Amino acid sequence: MTDVPAMALRGLTKVYGSLRAADAIDLDIPAGSFYGVVGPNGAGKTTTLSMATGLLRPDAGTAHILGIDLWQQPDAAKPLLGVLPDGLRTFDRLTGAELISYAGRLRGLAPEVIETRRDDLIATLDLGMASRTLVMDYSAGMAKKIALACALVHAPRVLVLDEPFEAVDPVSAAGIRRILIDFVDGGGTVVMSSHVMALVERLCTHVAVVGAGKVLSAGDIDAVRGGMDLEQRFVELVGDERQHRDLTWLRT
Amino acid sequence: MVAHIVGLRLTSMRHLIIREWWRLLVLIAAGLWMVTLLPAIQWARSALAGTDSDNRLTAVVAVGAVVVVGWAIVPVLVAGGDDTLDPRRFATFGVSATRLMPGLVVAAIVTLPALFFAYLWVSLAASWFAEGVWVGLFALAGAVVQLLTCIAVAKVSASWAARVFANRRTRAVTLAVTVLVLGGFAYVVWRALHRGLEALFETDFNVLIDAIARTPLVSALTAPGAAASGDWGRAAWLMGLAVAWAGVLVIAWHQTVAHALVTPLYRSAGARTRPDAVVRAGVRVPFLTGSDRTGPAGAVYARVVRSWRTDPRYLTSLTGVILLPAAFVAVVIPAFDLDPRWAFAAPFVLATSVGWGRHNDIAYDSSALWLDVVAGKRGGAVMRGRFAAVLVWSLPLVVLVAVACAAWTEHWELAPAVVGAAVGALGTSLGVAALTSVLLPYRTPAPGENPFGAEAGSVGAGLVGQLVSSLATLVLLPFVIVPCVLAVLVDARWGIVAAVGGVALGVAAYLYGLTVAGRLYDSRSGRLLAAVR
Repeated sequence: MTDVPAMALRGLTKVYGSLRAADAIDLDIPAGSFYGVVGPNGAGKTTTLSMATGLLRPDAGTAHILGIDLWQQPDAAKPLLGVLPDGLRTFDRLTGAELISYAGRLRGLAPEVIETRRDDLIATLDLGMASRTLVMDYSAGMAKKIALACALVHAPRVLVLDEPFEAVDPVSAAGIRRILIDFVDGGGTVVMSSHVMALVERLCTHVAVVGAGKVLSAGDIDAVRGGMDLEQRFVELVGDERQHRDLTWLRT
Repeated sequence: MVAHIVGLRLTSMRHLIIREWWRLLVLIAAGLWMVTLLPAIQWARSALAGTDSDNRLTAVVAVGAVVVVGWAIVPVLVAGGDDTLDPRRFATFGVSATRLMPGLVVAAIVTLPALFFAYLWVSLAASWFAEGVWVGLFALAGAVVQLLTCIAVAKVSASWAARVFANRRTRAVTLAVTVLVLGGFAYVVWRALHRGLEALFETDFNVLIDAIARTPLVSALTAPGAAASGDWGRAAWLMGLAVAWAGVLVIAWHQTVAHALVTPLYRSAGARTRPDAVVRAGVRVPFLTGSDRTGPAGAVYARVVRSWRTDPRYLTSLTGVILLPAAFVAVVIPAFDLDPRWAFAAPFVLATSVGWGRHNDIAYDSSALWLDVVAGKRGGAVMRGRFAAVLVWSLPLVVLVAVACAAWTEHWELAPAVVGAAVGALGTSLGVAALTSVLLPYRTPAPGENPFGAEAGSVGAGLVGQLVSSLATLVLLPFVIVPCVLAVLVDARWGIVAAVGGVALGVAAYLYGLTVAGRLYDSRSGRLLAAVR
């Protein structure tokens, strides 16, 4: 691990009308870590990750990727990043293989390099025949896998994934997990948002809990947990304000 | 159930207005506009009551036909409107179409347009009380049937159109509809211009009215006329026809609701296999140079070419830009008996509408934009690739049309001037479009949506974008067109200026537009995504 953080966010802020979707987010993501970002729905995870990857201009604050200011020097910072956004559609009139090639060419790779990497990715992600089908005919899980392939094709140093396991079947999920763990073992950094605490506990070395546009707790996963399991700690941090009632009328 | 559905509609409307206040403005503006029309209806009513029943019938048939056709077309054109009561939303609640229908009908009546037209039909019907109470009451019944027809026709056409556009293999349908509509319109204009408006009104119009009057489209409105002349048998037949027609429409509506309840929108299946057409695309494209051929620009080019071939939204605009000059040469010139040299306008109309039509180019790819943005500063390559995919078909087309015009008018000496100036017009308008597409993008129908629809929220932003790109194009075009006009009208020697100047200016404007647009794309990339999504 080097001393320069893979991703350093300082005071990142985005305001929509009266809603502070991200409220002066400060976060250091160490290089070589598998970093989980967790938080309830609407906590600002996607907004923060969008600003940290160049997809959404922040109202204030900076994002550094391996020491390079993303918004000042996008040309130097963006090649270091691989991004899998959530909820963004993609250009779906290409086949899976063509979409990977497209991403590779946008990243400035040579055709021979693209062809090798494309075929490797298709085999590893078990996309087989699907690589010859238009992306518009894909299921949600397949679309996720092809988007992941697009994020990996240029061999980034930092991988930012918004809900990478959503709608993915268990076999494919195991494949994606293996790729991500290998990526971290090879010195890369993975930043991943998720709702699934068990998954975060199993994969991540570090975690940040985000709520209402702020970082509530962040750091080494054991430090954040503080002896509890992550879900308990999460509920404690975020606050569970629901009223508990027994739905006795269900038991008829 | 009826009260429940109507309540649902009103509640969601209230919430929507609280969330997006501009909807209230639209609603108020629409309401005000309708209120200003009410005196006109009153005036028409009293005027109708004063005339003989023959004229009254003609007026009623004309208005009735236009309104019914309007109710059928408008919902197809204005997508993104109110879809609160989209039957699909009821799918998870296990309610049958039969139980939903009464509520949907009543809720459809409680909308501004429906209430306005209810008032219109009742007012028109009331004018028949001049012929006796029973005729008046009969006309009122007809008004109710006519309103139901309007509402049902709107629902059926909207949902059938949605079903057609949901299928991605609708190229043929889209093209056919566009051609039919434009062709029909061109024919009417041609008839009107060719024979004079008066003659048209005297003969064609009356023939048309007579024909329409016999159709169930308006027979609920013409039935009172038969009743007024004492022919109650014919009146009953016409009313029966209208009721049957409304019934058929309501059944069709019921069928679309039942269909929607069990058919969620899905991404159409079907494994189309093809080899990778992206990885080495662009190598032989003449409009890409150097590293662009193997780099990002070539990839963007390949992707946009795919859009031009398969996306209904692109195909519609392609049809539009080709039909416009075609209609000009085939319809306007003979109709006005213009000098054949007017045909030289065709390549300019073509070139300018191709270029202007791209003024919102970036937004058409809203779903793919993020991939371009995360890849780094790719603005220049994106713009060059995008516009190369336009040039690759439009430049040969413009040159071809220009040469064809010279051949048709047998003014071969003018060919260089017209070709050069038309190329100039294409380059200039594309350069302007490149800039506005980055500076003033507005939301468009997403890939796979109804290509004719305008996103309701984009109207304001769209107007600004269209206005600015039109003005900029208008300011620049004279520089290429004036020498060409001089060559045609004054002295053929101007042709050299037109040819050389046109090409030079076109190329310069194109390259300058793309370069600046590319830089702007990079500096605005964090905002572009939010603007078009």
